[in-house]
Amino acid sequence: MKRLSLKWPLIVISSALAFIIFVVPLYGASVYSFKGMGGKGHSWVNYQWLIHADGFYPSLFTSLKLAVLAGILNLLLMVPTMVYLNLKGQRFKPFVDFLCILPLIIPVVSLAIGAQVAMPEFLQNTEYELVFFFVIIALPYTYRALDTSLQTVALKTLVEASRSLGASWTRTIIRVIVPAIRSGITGALFLTFALSIGEYTITSLLHWETFPTWTVVAAQQNILGAIAISVFSFVGAIVLLTAIALFSKKRVQRVEVEA
Amino acid sequence: MLPLLPFFIFTGFFLVWPVIAVTLRSLHGNKNEWTFANYRPMLHKGPYLHAFVVSLKLSIVTTVIGSILGAFFAYVIVKYAHGKFGAVIDSISAVFANSGGVPLAFMFVAAFGTEGLVTTVLKRLGWDIYAGHFTIFSFTGVVLVYSFFQIPLMVLIFKPAIAGLRSEWEEASTNLGASHLTYWRRVAIPILTPSFIGAFFLLFAGGFSAYATARALTVGTVPLVPIIIGTLVDGNVISDQANLGDALAVGMIVVATIAMAGYIWAQRQAAKWRSS
Repeated sequence: MKRLSLKWPLIVISSALAFIIFVVPLYGASVYSFKGMGGKGHSWVNYQWLIHADGFYPSLFTSLKLAVLAGILNLLLMVPTMVYLNLKGQRFKPFVDFLCILPLIIPVVSLAIGAQVAMPEFLQNTEYELVFFFVIIALPYTYRALDTSLQTVALKTLVEASRSLGASWTRTIIRVIVPAIRSGITGALFLTFALSIGEYTITSLLHWETFPTWTVVAAQQNILGAIAISVFSFVGAIVLLTAIALFSKKRVQRVEVEA
Repeated sequence: MLPLLPFFIFTGFFLVWPVIAVTLRSLHGNKNEWTFANYRPMLHKGPYLHAFVVSLKLSIVTTVIGSILGAFFAYVIVKYAHGKFGAVIDSISAVFANSGGVPLAFMFVAAFGTEGLVTTVLKRLGWDIYAGHFTIFSFTGVVLVYSFFQIPLMVLIFKPAIAGLRSEWEEASTNLGASHLTYWRRVAIPILTPSFIGAFFLLFAGGFSAYATARALTVGTVPLVPIIIGTLVDGNVISDQANLGDALAVGMIVVATIAMAGYIWAQRQAAKWRSS
């Protein structure tokens, strides 16, 4: 007995569903963002308002700056840690793994309240305190990105070779290990950057102004402008990630929490 | 041990210490005395208990929608989307799954607001979605918006489980005379169940803790725990409830921890199949 093929019915149903759930809202928002003054016609007016609005460049610059710093700090902290864990510190791995999964468990709102209580004054007085918390919320993803790529290289052999040729530990990490786990590092960097640039909860609860919090404030003056920003950043992220997925030699480091 | 010191100091100070600090302060009253008073409003009938109920309801509803639809999409993607197309779908799901921020809220206002494009088109087709109680700023509205990131999140989490179903298992059961339906009922679904439950808990925890989207969208029209904590932090704290926000924050940690314990338990169950 020939089995009924479900292939096309399944593809048609899921495509239709995906269209209704994802494409329609996205398309609706995009068209809406090009609405002209008073809802008439189509124009770039909302996008023009955006780049001339007070606080657009300063807040965007703050976000970029903090995101870059978070990415760098993240690598400085996590690359040596992960190398050590995979090389000699195997027995500490479950504990470090647990600490790195904590940011997924602890609601970000609670972490923000805790930060308000716990951080010393000199840190609370500078926007750079956010960098540390951006690194924290990126931990679950960085841990996995770096761990996966470290497990695919012959770490021990590489280190022994480099050390026996007289290289110091710092040199070994920078010249041998980092190039070997490039894909993991790029993944970790990109994820930290993306998370930091969109972070809203901690930033707003600690009363700092970055691009996302500025957007919410700006929306009260000009909702069409806020919609334009949203569409722009969303479509930008899709284009960027798709381009990376299509053009990277290896497929992008996939960082997932497995079920 | 020594090379791990920077990591332990960093996470200790910026992750563990804030949690301990907020817990300690939630156990203190106005005059700095030890007390459970801050937890009382949360455990008795009133706005704070209500907020927990609404938050739980929201995360359960969006998790049910997200996990069922997400699992369906994951199956179709694993089965029929390969190569470059599959890679593109992967990265698009990753963007959508992490979209639970500010932009998402405004995009849904643009699409489903009173003047929104989808609203207008549906109205022209004869369906006025605003005829009943619906607004994008209501509970149903938030459900709609949350589903937008819960579904792709489920796709990301659940895809590896479906991809792990070996074709040998289906062949074996067919050779033993099982129908397609029997294979699903007796083999595939039992194997996938732990992974599904694990993903369910993860989606639940995420939905329960989400703040940015709801904050930008509702500005307090739907009473959710994170939003209420946010308002308490933003000043206008009633003097005798100074540390109430801390207690609510600890309450959220407790709920999230239970969900994560469920996730870890389910993951162990799922791992049994993978190792054998």
